[in-house]
Amino acid sequence: MITLTPLRQFRFPVMAECINPDVFQGKSVDEIAQLTVWEGNKQKKLCELFKIEQSLAEAPSIVINGNVEEVRRIGSGMKSGEIVINGNAGMHLGEKMAGGKITVNGDAEGWAGSDMKNGLLEIMGNAGPYLASPYRGSSTGMRGGKIIVHGNVGTDAAVFLKGGTIKILGDAGPFMGFRMCDGTIHIEKNCGTRVGACMTGGKIVVSGVLEEVLPTFTIDSVKAKVKIEEGDSATGPFYVFLGDLAENGNGKLYVSKANNPHLSTYEKYL
Amino acid sequence: MSTTVNAVTCPVCGCLCDDIELTIENGVIAKVKNGCAMCESKFLSYKNEHRNKTPLVRKEGKLVPVSYDEAIHKAAEILANANYPILYGWSSTDCEAQRVGVELAEEVGGVLDNTAVVCHGPSILSVQEVGIPTCTLGQIRHRADLVIYWGCDPWSAHPRHLERYTTFTEGRFEGSEWKEYMNKVKASAGKKKLLSLERREIVKRKPEPIIEKVTVNKPPETLSKAGRKLIVIDVRKTMTAEVADYFIQVQPGKDYELMLAIRALVKDHELDVDQVAGVPVEYLEELVDAMVNCEFGVIFFGMGLTQSAGKFRNVDVAISLIRDLNRRTKFAILPMRGHFNVTGANTVSTWQSGYPYSVDFSLGYPRYNPGETSVVDVLLRKESDAALIVASDPASNFPRKAVEHLVANPLIVIDPHMNATALLGDVVFPAAIVGIEKAGTAYRMDHVPLPLKKVVEPPEGILSDEEILSRILEEVRVIKSQKMQEAA
Ligand code: SF4
Repeated sequence: MITLTPLRQFRFPVMAECINPDVFQGKSVDEIAQLTVWEGNKQKKLCELFKIEQSLAEAPSIVINGNVEEVRRIGSGMKSGEIVINGNAGMHLGEKMAGGKITVNGDAEGWAGSDMKNGLLEIMGNAGPYLASPYRGSSTGMRGGKIIVHGNVGTDAAVFLKGGTIKILGDAGPFMGFRMCDGTIHIEKNCGTRVGACMTGGKIVVSGVLEEVLPTFTIDSVKAKVKIEEGDSATGPFYVFLGDLAENGNGKLYVSKANNPHLSTYEKYL
Repeated sequence: MSTTVNAVTCPVCGCLCDDIELTIENGVIAKVKNGCAMCESKFLSYKNEHRNKTPLVRKEGKLVPVSYDEAIHKAAEILANANYPILYGWSSTDCEAQRVGVELAEEVGGVLDNTAVVCHGPSILSVQEVGIPTCTLGQIRHRADLVIYWGCDPWSAHPRHLERYTTFTEGRFEGSEWKEYMNKVKASAGKKKLLSLERREIVKRKPEPIIEKVTVNKPPETLSKAGRKLIVIDVRKTMTAEVADYFIQVQPGKDYELMLAIRALVKDHELDVDQVAGVPVEYLEELVDAMVNCEFGVIFFGMGLTQSAGKFRNVDVAISLIRDLNRRTKFAILPMRGHFNVTGANTVSTWQSGYPYSVDFSLGYPRYNPGETSVVDVLLRKESDAALIVASDPASNFPRKAVEHLVANPLIVIDPHMNATALLGDVVFPAAIVGIEKAGTAYRMDHVPLPLKKVVEPPEGILSDEEILSRILEEVRVIKSQKMQEAA
C-alpha cells in the first residue's frame, strides 16, 4: 500500500493521471517519487507535491490523506486495485476507469467517472457536475460499472449513459440522463428538472420529488416496484412515463406516486 | 480637404455591415452614412479627449506613464514567470491580433479564452454535440420566407439585421415586408395614443392601475400567407416583437420545454399536456404548420437561449429541431453574435489550436473543457496567477468574486480606452482602434470574413493590438531563453 500526503495546499491545477494502481504496480517508492505530474504549466515530480510512504498492507493499493480537490485525473484509466481518498477529490476522478475501486471519503469535483467502462466508484460526499458524463463534443458516456453517491449530484449527470448503474442517495441536478440510451439511474431523493431529456432508452427511477415531467413524455402505467439491479429494487408505487417523444425514444422514467401528487393529472390518460 | 471612403465595414456588432460611407475632413471622420446609431457613435467618438495615449505601469500603487519598451518588458516578465496565466478578450480586435494571441498563449502555457465564454459559448458546445445546419446571411436575404428570432432582439442589439439580411430586405426571390410594417406601426401608433389618453385620465381619477396580462394570442391568419413572415419568441415583448407577424411570450426559463414540445409535434406525436411554457398546444400546432409549410425558414437565437436555464441544452434542442424540420422542408439556424469579431476569435482559435474558446495550453498542448478551462471558472476557483486582457472589460461584467481574483494578481490590459479593467490594471497599453485606425480582418456572424479598413491615422506613437502582442511575444521568448541559459 502506498500512502500519499499532499505537502501543501495546491493553488494551480495538478494533472496526476499517474496516481493509478496499475502505474504504481511493481515500482519502488523511489521510482514512484520520480513519476511526472503537472502543476499549472510546470512539470514536477510526484515527490515534489506529495509525501510518499509504503506499508505492507495489501489493500487498498493507494491511500491519499488530505484534500486534493486541485488534483485531477486520479485513477484515470485504472483497470485494477483500489484507491481510497480521505478528503475531497479533483476533477476527472476515475475517468475511463475499466476496473477496480475508488472510494472518496469527501466530495468529488466535476466529471467523476467520465467515460467509465467498469469498476466501482463510491463517493461518500457530494459529486460535482457532469458525473459519468463524457467530454465536450463526445457522445460516449459511461458504458458499464457502478457509481454510488451518498450526497447530492450536480447538473448534467449521466449524459449519454450507455450502460452501468448509478445510485444517488441524495438529490440530483437538472438534465440527469440527457440523451441516455441504456443503463439505470436511481435517485433516492429529489430530482432536478428536465430529467431524461432526449433519452432513447434505459431507466431512470426518482423516489423523491420531481417538480415536472417534460411535455414530451407520455404516461404508460403505474407500477408497484421497479428493479434497479440484481438483488436491489425500489418500492413505489411509481408512475411510469415513456419518452422522449422528441427523439422517438423508448426510455422509462419512474416517478414516485406518493411524493408527487401534482402528477396525478396524468392519471386521466391511463 | 474632404474625401469620401466607400464600403467601410462597421466594427461594432456581429452584422458587420460593409456598406458604410465615411466623409473624412482634415484627417478626421466628419460624417457617417448608412450606419445605425451605434455605428455612428463609434465612428464619431474615436477621437475622444479621454482616450489613453501612453502606456502605463503601476508603481507604488499608482499608474504612471512609461515608454512602450518598458511596459512591454514588464508585461513579458509577468507572463513568462506565471504558472497559470489567462489571456482573455479578443472579440473586439482583428483576426491578425488574435493569431498572435494564440501563439503567445502557447508560449506562456496559459489559458486562452474569448468573450464567447459569457455569451455564445454554450451554442458552440451544442454545435459540437449535434452539428449545425446553417447558411450565410446572403442566402437568407434572398430566399428565407420564414424568419424566427428566438431569445434575441435585433431591433435593439443588431439594428440593421432586419433591414439588411432578413424581413425588411429586398431579396432576389423574396420581397421586403417594410411596407406592411409601416402600416402596422401607423395602426399601433393610433392605438398607443388612445392608451396614453386613457392613462392620463386614470392618473387624474386615480383608480386601479392597469395591469397588463400576459397572454399568448392565437396565431394570426397571416402566418399562412405567401411572402416573408416574422415570428418572435421571447420572454417579453421586445421592439422586434412589436413588428413581428406573431409573437409568442414564453414563460421565463421554459424555452427548453417549448422547443422540445415543438420537436415532438413536428414528428406528429400527441402530447399529454394542454399547454407548454404558457403556450396552448393548439397554437403550437399552428406554429409547427407554418414552420413545416414554409419554403426556407431560419431561426436566429440570442442570449435569451444561451444564458437562460438550460444554457447549451437550449441550443442543442434548437439545432435538433432544425434537423427534424429539414426532413420536411429547408431550415437553417444562426446564432446572433454580439461583438463584431467574436466569430473571428472562435475561428482563429479553432484553426490554430483545434478548439474555439477556453483553450488551456498549460500542458504544452491545447486542451479544451469549458467548465474546467473557461476563464470565469478558473478565476472563481482562484487558480490563475496573472492575466492579459485584450480589447475587453471583464472587470465590469464578470462575477464579483472572479473580478476580485483577477485584480489580486498581475493584470495586463491592452485597450484603446481606459475602461474599468484598465483602471485596475498593472500594465496598461493604449492601442489603435481596429477598423478605424488599423486595417484587419473580421468574421461576420455567419462566418463570412470581411476586411476592416484603416480610414484615419492613429494618435502619434500608438501601436495596434497586433504590434503590441508581437512585441510582448518576442520579449517573452528572450526572457525564457535567458532563464534556460541560467538554468543550464
Ligand atoms: S447593425 Fe451593427 S454592424 Fe451594422 S451598422 Fe449597426 S452596429 Fe454596425
